[in-house]
Amino acid sequence: MSYDEVAADPLSNPVGGPDPDDNIIHLFWLQGMGCDGCTTALLAANRPSLEEMVLGTVPRIPRIILHHPMLDDDSGPDFMSAYRQAVEGTLGAPYVVVLEGSIPDDQSFPGEGYFAALGVAADAPQGMRATGRPDQPLRVSDWAWAMARRAEACFSIGTCATWGGIPAAAGNITGSMGFMDYLGREYRSARGLPVVNVPGCAPIGDNFTETLMQVLLYFDGAVKLPEFDELGRPEWMFAETVHRHCMKAGYYEEGVFAHEPGDNECLVEIGCWGPVVQCNITERGAINHTGGCMIAGGACIGCTMPGFPDKYSPFYKAPPGSAVSGTVSRIYGGGIRRLRRLSMTAGNHTPIWDRADHIPSAWGIAAGQKTPAQKVNAYFYKKLQYKGTVNHSARNKKQPQPGSRDILKQKGVDMSASVPVLGERVVTREEL
Amino acid sequence: MHAVSQQGAGQLRRIDFDPVARVAGGLALRTVVDTERFEVVEASMLATMYRGYEVLLRGRDPRDAVFVSSRACGVCGGAHAWTSALACEMAYGSAPPAMGIVARNWLSALEDLCDLPHHLFQRAGPDFSEPLVRQTSPELWARAQQTPAANVATHGYGLVSEIMTAMTPFRGGLYRRALELTRVAKEAYGLVGGKHPHPQTTTPAGVSALIDPSDRNLTLLRIDKFLDYSREVAAVWDDLADFFLTADPRYADVGAGPKNFFDFGRWDDPFAYDATFENAPVWGERRWSTPGVIVDGRLRTTNLHQIDGGVEEFVDRSFYEDWSADGGVYATDPAGNNVSARHPWNKETLPQPGGPNLNGQYSWSTAPRWDRLAMETGAGARMWITAMARKQPHSRFVESTGHSLVMHMPQAALPEATLEWLVPERWNAFERNRARAYSLVHSTLVAYENVLIGYDLARIGGPDARTFTEYEIPKGGVVGVGYWGGPRGAISHHMEIDNRVIRNYQILAGSTFNASPMDPFGTPGPCEAAVMGTPLLSTRQPERYLDAMRAVRSFDPCMSCATH
Ligand code: SF4
Ligand code: SF4
Repeated sequence: MSYDEVAADPLSNPVGGPDPDDNIIHLFWLQGMGCDGCTTALLAANRPSLEEMVLGTVPRIPRIILHHPMLDDDSGPDFMSAYRQAVEGTLGAPYVVVLEGSIPDDQSFPGEGYFAALGVAADAPQGMRATGRPDQPLRVSDWAWAMARRAEACFSIGTCATWGGIPAAAGNITGSMGFMDYLGREYRSARGLPVVNVPGCAPIGDNFTETLMQVLLYFDGAVKLPEFDELGRPEWMFAETVHRHCMKAGYYEEGVFAHEPGDNECLVEIGCWGPVVQCNITERGAINHTGGCMIAGGACIGCTMPGFPDKYSPFYKAPPGSAVSGTVSRIYGGGIRRLRRLSMTAGNHTPIWDRADHIPSAWGIAAGQKTPAQKVNAYFYKKLQYKGTVNHSARNKKQPQPGSRDILKQKGVDMSASVPVLGERVVTREEL
Repeated sequence: MHAVSQQGAGQLRRIDFDPVARVAGGLALRTVVDTERFEVVEASMLATMYRGYEVLLRGRDPRDAVFVSSRACGVCGGAHAWTSALACEMAYGSAPPAMGIVARNWLSALEDLCDLPHHLFQRAGPDFSEPLVRQTSPELWARAQQTPAANVATHGYGLVSEIMTAMTPFRGGLYRRALELTRVAKEAYGLVGGKHPHPQTTTPAGVSALIDPSDRNLTLLRIDKFLDYSREVAAVWDDLADFFLTADPRYADVGAGPKNFFDFGRWDDPFAYDATFENAPVWGERRWSTPGVIVDGRLRTTNLHQIDGGVEEFVDRSFYEDWSADGGVYATDPAGNNVSARHPWNKETLPQPGGPNLNGQYSWSTAPRWDRLAMETGAGARMWITAMARKQPHSRFVESTGHSLVMHMPQAALPEATLEWLVPERWNAFERNRARAYSLVHSTLVAYENVLIGYDLARIGGPDARTFTEYEIPKGGVVGVGYWGGPRGAISHHMEIDNRVIRNYQILAGSTFNASPMDPFGTPGPCEAAVMGTPLLSTRQPERYLDAMRAVRSFDPCMSCATH
């Protein structure tokens, strides 16, 4: 193919100034069981920045009409009306949903009450639960499943929304879970996508805005479907361990380790989980290629991982296996790889998935179960990790499974057919 | 229309806002408005989200406390992380070395630089922007177009209307500049903090960071940008507040509240802080922001034992069961001062979800009170107490005069200057925002000063230049408490450890005080009280209810913090 041919194809070159047709897409932000840290990260994003996306200056992607409770002009019903229209299919434009924070198990409450609320029953769209008095708050969990159905794509931002995070840790009373768990493995967006996951506690802002941009470029036809891994993470950001690009990796290789916080060497002995954690902060920095956990001197606690926090607890304690892998790091043996694969597999499972022996991700083949050998190894591994401290693995076994997992099935929402967007049929879920 | 129901046939009308936009976290506001006098007569604030951090922390290894509790808030995660680290190091009996304390100070001041501009321009700011002012008060807009801005030399806007235009969401220059400058602050924070908003280098007894010359230089150079920027921000809010208060004196009643202020203070003197409970009154008074309680405008105490000792938490209007019936575990604090059964040392968190009922339980926030009085905390309280107390340690840049804070600005792009924040005569939404703008100047200077002290410590070397002290977690039962301040005011974490497992963990945050519901004595929370009595002055689109929103937002409520 010659350059002329490439350039003549209107879809081949994503560089070319703002969209001349002023296409728009609505972005609905839902705040579940979170801390607003993902919003803080969103405001910090610079490549692209929120303001560029809202003003519509990012090449080839539609201008974003933002509905965000922390940034919107209007409150109350004026704020909620667009949410209602989205659910009712009368918005008149496509939309995406971004969930910040996990989904609590409040759908299981028999009567009134909520752990996270948004709007009141008087704002409820048709087809959505509106029990109780008109001034009773609606639950974020009501909106989450109702909005997901017609969304072009659903995004989870941050570790709470992706995997459950701290609100879902051992001892929680809210039954919190990630967006994927809640919607269930069958979920597909109107464009056929399972939930897109951008983890991190808090995530790097640019990781999120760039993923959003990439998906919108895909909708535009400018790029092929972005590479997501088997858990729906953007693979180009999360395939590598954070250790591989760590600026202290040279110390690690030489077997020179920090003995206490403030030392300059590799932090593995003061609790760094970097070798088994998938995160790009050592590459991208915390913001604008500045900062970053180990770069500043803080050990990695695995905040991007499905197993966070319990599988990395207690913090500031050397991970099991670090003694082995650390001291013999120069002789890079198969044993270390095996150990790492083991803790990486464990870290890529939330306690909810462990209990269910099922991963609610539709992105890949890895959604399978653990082999018996993995289970035996995991047993000894946990013994080491929790020696002399609280055994979260045992606690998590007793933690009740949230009742509203797989909500779409419970609500009888059929995910096997396509959903018309703007009256016109897009790619069917089957075709995808 | 916003009316959900009509109350009675008269002029009283129920108006609800679920949710209130442009605040942090989930907040709903329910009001009753007098539609003849255009005034809010009743107001209830509903914290609508609860994750249960206190419950989650119970039964964990205390080594998890810092990083888990940090996630209570993603706006001031650092403040929670440091408060937790303070509680841990008190329990372990290990104080950080001087450099560790100083680095914490500058990170904490930088956290304000990361956040206060977001409040002033992303959250509260749009209420004063051209689109909203034009739509709701055309005559004010016309006046603004005729009114020269007094501080044009500092911020560059010739007319008040130009300031308002620049505050327009996403398009306005001031709106965008706040986004850009907070990114600069977040870079500075990342250098030693690792990442924002949840810093990764926080640890009990110090910071987990090797601070090399580049870290100091690159931090200082970024703070340098705020020497100019913070002055512009203060100049902008001076002009805005003066414009509104002059245009219509009734604006002084928007968000008006009593002068009851509460703060634990923050920014420790590296040579006074020893992490003991016994000496808290001593090291507390050596903080750059002075701990204290002001009642009716009079300074009652600056003693941390008395400040903390007077706190009680009520849950009568909140979604919790009361735990205090059979008295508390502790009759006294660790120094032997009496504490109530409702004090955080004795509190047990017993969540009980339900539908809100304005005559019963309606919020996920508890109602903390001091001496049974509702207390306001935040940037204004911090400035006010520090200004009145005249206790802060020596500073190259800030003076506490007893009625004002005098801030000497070193030269950056703007020439040297002296700014003064005067304790206001009346306290309302405009003064709250003005105080917050000046507190950005204050925090900039504290960050600057502490980095300079960092240079001094590095030059002198020795043990003071270290960032971390070793500690051991004792066996058996120990307790610790951290007192700090976030951008929105007082934060405390009370922790009880038993055999290296957390037995009780209690969090109070600035917004728990400010956004609290009514207490059993019938006193509404400070923000509720400020909305009640607020006149609705918009001449157009009264249903937008702008002045009530201005009143709420002037507290910069952060509901994730409030409920945790
Ligand atoms: S173990 Fe941690 S500190 Fe050490 S090289 Fe790996 S990621 Fe970096
Ligand atoms: S390095 Fe570890 S702790 Fe830091 S952001 Fe990445 S996963 Fe989280």
